[in-house]
Amino acid sequence: MKPPPFAYAAPDTVEEAVGLLTEHADAEPRVLAGGQSLIPLMNFRLAKPGYLVDLRNVAGLSGIRREGDVLVIGAMTRMAEVERSPEVAVAAPLVTEAVGLVAHVPVRNSGTVGGSLAHADPAAELPAVALALDADLVAAGPGGTRVIPAAAFFTGPYSTALAADEILTEIRLPVWPGGHAFTEFSRVHANFAVVAVAALVELDGDGDGDRIRRAALALAGVAPTPVRATAAERALAGAPADAATIRAAADAAATSLSPAGDLHASPETRRGLARTYLRRGIELAVARARNER
Amino acid sequence: MAPDTRTISLTVNGQPHVAQVEPRRLLVDFLREDLGLPGTHIGCEHGVCGTCTVLLNGASIRSCITLAVQADGASIDTVEGLAQGGELHPLQDEFSEKQGLQCGFCTPGMLMRAREILAENPDPSPGQVREAIASNLCRCTGYQFITEAVISAAARMRASKEGVAP
Amino acid sequence: MTAANQATPGAPPVRDHSASRRWVGQSIRRVEDPKFLLGRGGYIADRITPGTLHAAVLRSPFAHARIGRIETAAALAAPGVHAVITGREAAELCDPMPDFGPDPAKHTWRCLAAEKVRYVGEGVAVVVADSRYLAEDALELIEVEYEPLPPVTDPERALAAGSPLVHEALESNCAYERSFDFGDVERDFAEADVVIRDRLRWHRSGGQPLETVGAIAEYDQGTGSFTIDTNTLSFTSYLFMAAGTLKVPVNKLDIRPVPAGGSFGSKLFANKPAVIAGMCARKTGRRVAYLEDRSDNIANCDHHGSDRVYDVELAMMRDGTMRGLKIDVVDDYGAYIQFGVGHHGNALAQVVGPYTIGSVRYRVRAALTNKNQQGAYRGFGSEVNNWMLEQMVDKAARELGLDPVAVRRMNFIRDFPHFIPTGNVYDSGDYERVLDHALELARYDHWRDEQRRLREQGRHIGIGVITAQERSVFSATEFWFWFDEPGAPVTSTPESVSLKVDATGGITAVLYSCAFWGNSPETMVAQLVAEEFDCSPYDVSIVYHGSRDGLPATGPGGSRTTVMLAGAVEGASAKIKEKARRAAAHLLEIGPDDLEWSDGGFRVRGDPERKKTLGEIAIMLHLFKHSFPEDMESGLDASKVFDHPYTTMPSADRKDLGVFYPFVGHACHVPVVEVDIETGAVTFLNYAAVHDCGTLVNPRSLAGHIVGGTAQGIGTALYEEFVYDDDGQLLSSSFMDYLIPTAMEVPELTIGHVETPSPYTPHGIKGGGEGGRMMAPAAINAAVNDALAPLGVRLTELPMTPERILAALRAAGHAG
Repeated sequence: MKPPPFAYAAPDTVEEAVGLLTEHADAEPRVLAGGQSLIPLMNFRLAKPGYLVDLRNVAGLSGIRREGDVLVIGAMTRMAEVERSPEVAVAAPLVTEAVGLVAHVPVRNSGTVGGSLAHADPAAELPAVALALDADLVAAGPGGTRVIPAAAFFTGPYSTALAADEILTEIRLPVWPGGHAFTEFSRVHANFAVVAVAALVELDGDGDGDRIRRAALALAGVAPTPVRATAAERALAGAPADAATIRAAADAAATSLSPAGDLHASPETRRGLARTYLRRGIELAVARARNER
Repeated sequence: MAPDTRTISLTVNGQPHVAQVEPRRLLVDFLREDLGLPGTHIGCEHGVCGTCTVLLNGASIRSCITLAVQADGASIDTVEGLAQGGELHPLQDEFSEKQGLQCGFCTPGMLMRAREILAENPDPSPGQVREAIASNLCRCTGYQFITEAVISAAARMRASKEGVAP
Repeated sequence: MTAANQATPGAPPVRDHSASRRWVGQSIRRVEDPKFLLGRGGYIADRITPGTLHAAVLRSPFAHARIGRIETAAALAAPGVHAVITGREAAELCDPMPDFGPDPAKHTWRCLAAEKVRYVGEGVAVVVADSRYLAEDALELIEVEYEPLPPVTDPERALAAGSPLVHEALESNCAYERSFDFGDVERDFAEADVVIRDRLRWHRSGGQPLETVGAIAEYDQGTGSFTIDTNTLSFTSYLFMAAGTLKVPVNKLDIRPVPAGGSFGSKLFANKPAVIAGMCARKTGRRVAYLEDRSDNIANCDHHGSDRVYDVELAMMRDGTMRGLKIDVVDDYGAYIQFGVGHHGNALAQVVGPYTIGSVRYRVRAALTNKNQQGAYRGFGSEVNNWMLEQMVDKAARELGLDPVAVRRMNFIRDFPHFIPTGNVYDSGDYERVLDHALELARYDHWRDEQRRLREQGRHIGIGVITAQERSVFSATEFWFWFDEPGAPVTSTPESVSLKVDATGGITAVLYSCAFWGNSPETMVAQLVAEEFDCSPYDVSIVYHGSRDGLPATGPGGSRTTVMLAGAVEGASAKIKEKARRAAAHLLEIGPDDLEWSDGGFRVRGDPERKKTLGEIAIMLHLFKHSFPEDMESGLDASKVFDHPYTTMPSADRKDLGVFYPFVGHACHVPVVEVDIETGAVTFLNYAAVHDCGTLVNPRSLAGHIVGGTAQGIGTALYEEFVYDDDGQLLSSSFMDYLIPTAMEVPELTIGHVETPSPYTPHGIKGGGEGGRMMAPAAINAAVNDALAPLGVRLTELPMTPERILAALRAAGHAG
């Protein structure tokens, strides 16, 4: 299982990288970030890029910083760095929890946040997180940079709004005031998720947190892209933060799903897992929101 | 028509190397064949089993899904660098003492991962060790004696750090 | 224990195991370890020398298709390519692969498919190039015309009329069918109070060691000889078959064993890579390596495990006494059937488990389908029978309102040796002792209390208690007693060891067909030799000998290795000691009978100061010929070809299959599980296992095998399956979908040992390497069923994936 031959460059700047993607468009160029998703595909010869643009030397693509109420993570930031970052733990604990569930430590040592987002595996954790947080993804192309909201970024399985000559440079995550929970069901420890849920809950400022002010719920593994459970979010907004309400919201969200089946889970099982993990995720997010009071 | 190659410079087990590699050459093949270090093994070639684990700048990576060119400028540690001066590393010694290996094929990768685990947490609980080594498959041992070996090695390594006889 | 003292026809003499032991029974560090720890294991992939060429195989994307034209010109012209061989050309260069299936003219298995492919992943061509990278590049340039045929993937449909035929010449997909009656089945069923019935399904999983199969071959044009290094096992006695495939005389083929990174059966007789490498070496005139990669191996290893549908009836009395069994099993063998139905011989060796069941009807049908064929996987078909029987016992207990532990206990065999209805013998055992120890180690009563308490909280806790057999050391008869007139009723399954004592008294042991694959043959032999000669095991040198000029040997399988090596070591040691005694007698000028072996040498009985160490004797024998009588040759070495010590022939009417798997261990596994009924996830809360495989040579080593085997059993029970869809596509074609348990799926095991020695083997050793996997699937299924019993749900299909558990819950009215 050796990869097929390809031309290769490791440019030093974003401009060069974009330039190479444009120049070699006919060779079906791909961007190489950590390679944890791309290289296995190449070893299976399911991906055969004629040109690989390696971002490892490009300045300015790595790093974590806070800009007011926004957490900014450079696309080439390794997941292990994100996992360990105290800044991320404070600003976006949902990210910390989700990154910890991406495969195993060795994969996170090499794998990057941008790589995971650009790969857009329908069962991946970080796309669901980006969607739940209404993140902005910043891309650089021959025409300059543009901001793509997460809701518009994921267009299909392994397919994003990025043009063939664009690279992701950073992801901008709004800070969420409230409780979070990222939970997933995988068959074997740290294996890819069959179903994953990103749950964010903000409780009402008055009283003992009896009511939910708003919620953001995203699921992976149940559709060709990660999806927001918008109907459930609306049902929860302003509703009591009790078990019955949460259960009803989870039930309604799951029933509206039409997941595909595979050798690991049938559509019915995926719906059931979505229901279960939505319920558990929301409950955990509510509990965490209360603990912060 | 000769294939396109790149020059890479890297340190492996403390030894500097400069080499010409095809961009597609996998790091595991470079280590095994080009540098004559066959201790790192190939199990799956799609990044799941962890048999090919080495350390890159002290962090574990899967060398079967890493290109050699991605290791340019890096410091790599493989199993061949564990024993020093003819003496087994405490991890190697404890693996033998506890029978943490049977066929030995996963062992080099498991040892390198264990090294990273203990560097990050010198005093892990058995549960923490078990969770950490879940990254590396073993088909022979069922993981129990590997866990015991890592715990014993950790104790010895702590003791020698504190200057206490192990 | 009267039976043990009476002479049993065909049985070897009963041994006296009263002597104390110094090395056998010690959990010493393994002698094999240092090279593996240092990364110098010398596995097959480590033996590529400069200039070795690499082969890669082009595999069929269709499950069933005729092969038309194959265009190879572009591939041949690709950079670095030395040869391209299609299946048709391979059929000229090589004869079919050796197999024990039905009529070779009608069931032809080749190293590459020639006229049609029969499973996804079957090889159709091979490329030889300067590197694996270049070989794989060239594979993509080969164009194959396929004419797809309808595939058949369900074994019962394969047996039905009108099914597509996997081998047209057989005119059927039934490769074998027969029904056997042992004992008076009709009477036992007529007299039974109740008959428990069930239908059970065990899907195929496989060994999937982390190292695949590989071979490096050279062909010497001058002598017409092949030399092949490979990590597959089992050569000397059966080598002529591989030589025949390569069309050379047997004494022109030398297969040299190299350490293997695991096997679990899957490297047993895995000759295809060796044949492909050999064929390519001869064609190119170069040294050629063929190393399977994971994609090659998962789809094409030829060692998928058992794949069975059972319809079973267990005849019982109301008080729990078991009377008889009717077993109807369909086994999906895939596209070829290399070992015949030997897997069912393994079942018949212990078909009644540890119970005094008096009669058995066993109907087996071997179905051919468009999947990779079965081979060997730890248990070799007996683990499936264990699971089936224990499921039936639990079902019976439930239906009769009896305690599952009590039902087992009351039916235990208590007198040994005990002949079961099939004719095989259980040499020794103490099943009650194993059960009691297991329940104690498992804190069984505590966990029953916990179960009650946690059930009140709405949690689903289950405890499995299974008691089952682990047979060891197979006879060759289990491969042919299926036929009234077998073509080759072979009866040899020997193992050989040569011992050489050098002039300094150092001992070297030579093993044949016994490469290292994760068991510890070097440590076993070193401990056994040390026991004989009072040396340190670490001072014994072990050599693995190639096959061409090797002594007869069968190699590992059926947990035979330690017992058979022990017999060979014992025999060779006796010959050495006999000569050394005569030499010492000469040197000490005393009669040989006045000498006794003690502490590394011979000493005069009653006058211990007069002695000669082995070293002192050896140097004289090596260098001082004239100090000895004329008939005493120089040197001190001896070999023993140890044949199976206890095999008896089947009766002509096959109502008695004879003794064919006589050294039978026993175990009890007690897992405690929790089932999450919302997700179908199963987690372990506790796991105790007690095994009795006779005397242990290295208890820690055996414990390691129990844990490892149990881990594989967990995989079989919950995670691992080769899943084929209706088109014959293998859906679990990588480790992303073929799920091997990690350290988080395997609990910490509490292990206990009981040792009831075999009366017939050296030191009373029995084989135990397979035991963990022979018990765990049965135990885990029992535990899950115990957990779900209050919901009226019972799982009868393995693996118990979340999908199957949730589907069963939904069917019983419990929404997920």
